[in-house]
Amino acid sequence: MDLNYAPEDERFRSHVRQWFAEHPPGPLSSLQQKKDWQRQLYNAGFVGMGWPKEYGGQAARPMEQAIVAEEMARADVPGAINSLALGLLGPTLIVHGTPDQKQRYVQRMLTAEDIWCQLYSEPDSGSDLASLKTSAVRDGDRWIINGQKVWTSLGPIADYGMLLARTDPKAPKHKGISYFILDMHQPGVEVRPLKQITGSSEFAEIFFTNATLPAENIIGQEGQGWELAQTTLGFERGGSVLARVTRHQANMRRLIDVSRDLSRDSVSVLEDPVVRQKLGRMVVEVEVLRYAGFRILSKLEQGKRPGSESSVDKLYYSELDKRHQELVQDILGPYGQIEQGLPTELSLNSSTMRGDDSTWAWNFLWSRAGTIYAGSSEIQKNIIGERVLKLPREPRADRASSSN
Amino acid sequence: MDFDFTQEQAMLRDLTREFFSRESTPKAVRSVMDDPRGFSDSTWQQMAEMGLQGLAIDAGYGGQGLGMIEQAIVLDEMGRAAYPGPYFATTVLAAGAIAASGQENQMARYLPDIAHGRTKATLALLEDRLSWTPSGVQLRAEKRGDGYVLSGVKRFVPFAHVADLMLVVARTAGGEDGTTVFAVPSDAAGLSQVQNVEMDRTNRTSTVTFGGVSVGSEAVVGELDNGWRLIEAVLQRAAVGAAAEMLGAARRCMEMSVDYAKMRQQFGQPIGMFQAIKHACSEMLLEVENAHAATYYAAWAYDAASPDALLAASAAKAYVGDASRKVCGSSIQVHGGIGFTWEFDLHLYFKRAKHFEPLYGDADFHRERALQLMLARTETREGRPEAVPALAS
Repeated sequence: MDLNYAPEDERFRSHVRQWFAEHPPGPLSSLQQKKDWQRQLYNAGFVGMGWPKEYGGQAARPMEQAIVAEEMARADVPGAINSLALGLLGPTLIVHGTPDQKQRYVQRMLTAEDIWCQLYSEPDSGSDLASLKTSAVRDGDRWIINGQKVWTSLGPIADYGMLLARTDPKAPKHKGISYFILDMHQPGVEVRPLKQITGSSEFAEIFFTNATLPAENIIGQEGQGWELAQTTLGFERGGSVLARVTRHQANMRRLIDVSRDLSRDSVSVLEDPVVRQKLGRMVVEVEVLRYAGFRILSKLEQGKRPGSESSVDKLYYSELDKRHQELVQDILGPYGQIEQGLPTELSLNSSTMRGDDSTWAWNFLWSRAGTIYAGSSEIQKNIIGERVLKLPREPRADRASSSN
Repeated sequence: MDFDFTQEQAMLRDLTREFFSRESTPKAVRSVMDDPRGFSDSTWQQMAEMGLQGLAIDAGYGGQGLGMIEQAIVLDEMGRAAYPGPYFATTVLAAGAIAASGQENQMARYLPDIAHGRTKATLALLEDRLSWTPSGVQLRAEKRGDGYVLSGVKRFVPFAHVADLMLVVARTAGGEDGTTVFAVPSDAAGLSQVQNVEMDRTNRTSTVTFGGVSVGSEAVVGELDNGWRLIEAVLQRAAVGAAAEMLGAARRCMEMSVDYAKMRQQFGQPIGMFQAIKHACSEMLLEVENAHAATYYAAWAYDAASPDALLAASAAKAYVGDASRKVCGSSIQVHGGIGFTWEFDLHLYFKRAKHFEPLYGDADFHRERALQLMLARTETREGRPEAVPALAS
């Protein structure tokens, strides 16, 4: 056991920290500004860090990736706009794409020339994603797509989507799905921003009416879509372990500062033993998140891929965020619910991952998403129970007609 | 960055696990539970031959000179096996206090005998105020001639009934500290004790009354009136050590629950197939994994003298206390009626973890301390005056 940062990691960290000190992002309200910021990050070597060099990446170690993410969180600057392409879709193409596909798309992901979205969930297919109904029907040298997707991040600005669609309705449900690249700029694709409980629209609904894609846009083999999508899901977890801790710490410090100025019955809430217990719990839980993050990083550094353990991580941090946002609300009382017009001395003073100003209220509402997206807490517990603890799988109605 | 045990550490864990799975079977634990002395001499001697009592004692005093990580590994395994005996009291508490004094003559006098299993020792700290600060120490040591006379009552002294030596924290002056640690042979005249009957019968405690116990000046360990420095060091190690014990017991409860959920059939299927049970088991794993990360991070931070070592010790004790409560409690629920019987072994580990929850600062205590440490850190960083008094260290 050695949990010190290596000297080269320390040197790298100070280089990164200095870069962000010297390159504060300007205003990032327009899409072009956000793309330019990613380009700037790319030129500095902070985008696609884990990607192989031949595809424009840095082949950086997991620790270096984690350090960059952590320093970005520390500087409170937004990440690269093309987040799904960088974390998930690009690596999938690199592993499973044809030479042609890689040549055509991968580099432009890094430079934000094309923005990508992920076309997975459907209104009737959430946790049970493999029941998806959007159809792809072969028509000569093209496929014709009909159906609907939902919960599509970056949908309104995406140039391409990575699509899961059913190509064989007769096959068992996991086997009849294929994986495609879809051009979002075409008449058969309609994008409607989805307004969430936050009042903002981080997601969209996508409707396909005879949308088309050329035959060469299939990824892998026909019917292999589910298998490939399963491997991509793994990329969605891992490298941001330190950044998450840093964001929590920053919010916690701000909450402590605000608590100092806030009083009830003329006593500072920071003197209230009940509040102190709540804050103390937050300190402890974020510390444990940090230690557990080190454990994951250590595994990544040894070249091991955290498998189902990442379900433990996801379950902990998403549930933790929900608990902590509840505590923030407890401590701030009615102030916590103010979306506009909160006195500066009580405000959050930080930004969302996408670079917009954030509020305690927005964070509270947003925390409800974390235990649903990327596999709900219940799904994570099934994965932990069945794949880690090897508990027997529950009988499911869909398995009767499925070989899976 | 490497969170894995080194090869030597993994070997120590395997050896210890193998030893306790042989020596401290549930059957053996139960027979010791019915024994008034509460431990097995033969096991104790074998442990000494393995070097367990001297694990963290310097090589110069007959020990192995290993760190808190190794100490945690052994305690983790003892918790897992519910090993009954005066190990924690002798090594973590008593030897820890003597070593913290840094006094060569006292270390030479006591530590080799402890390392070789010849001396069993304990720490008499808690009193009626149940405080983990010097203000709780009311037992008086009055100067008389060359020596001191100790009068007062100590509560919850672990394994006092078999200890050869007691390290007694006594009040010798007023002021912020004003305590002194004395090494007192437990057969000293004027010393009497009454053993408690605890729900965890793998741990024994006693109320020890000092009715004018005379000791010489050579009994003083560490500095006069400044004894809390030693106790603080002991409490930091004890918090991490207790976390390791609770972790081991919780892991055992989880494993038993998962095994049971695979085997126990109701409604024509293993109960582990039901999500209600499966999810309970998954939550146990989450708590055990986090408890592992917290315990061993804290142990590493102690050995590395990391600036966050105190915070990590508090985080570990608070987190693992809650986690083991949840895991061990949930394990009884998963087992249902059988888990509530005396005959089934689950309660050995359930009670073992519970024993350590209130000791060396409960979760509330350590949450408050973690907050204080975080506040102190924030204020130092912002160049504000230190507004937080009375931090441990």
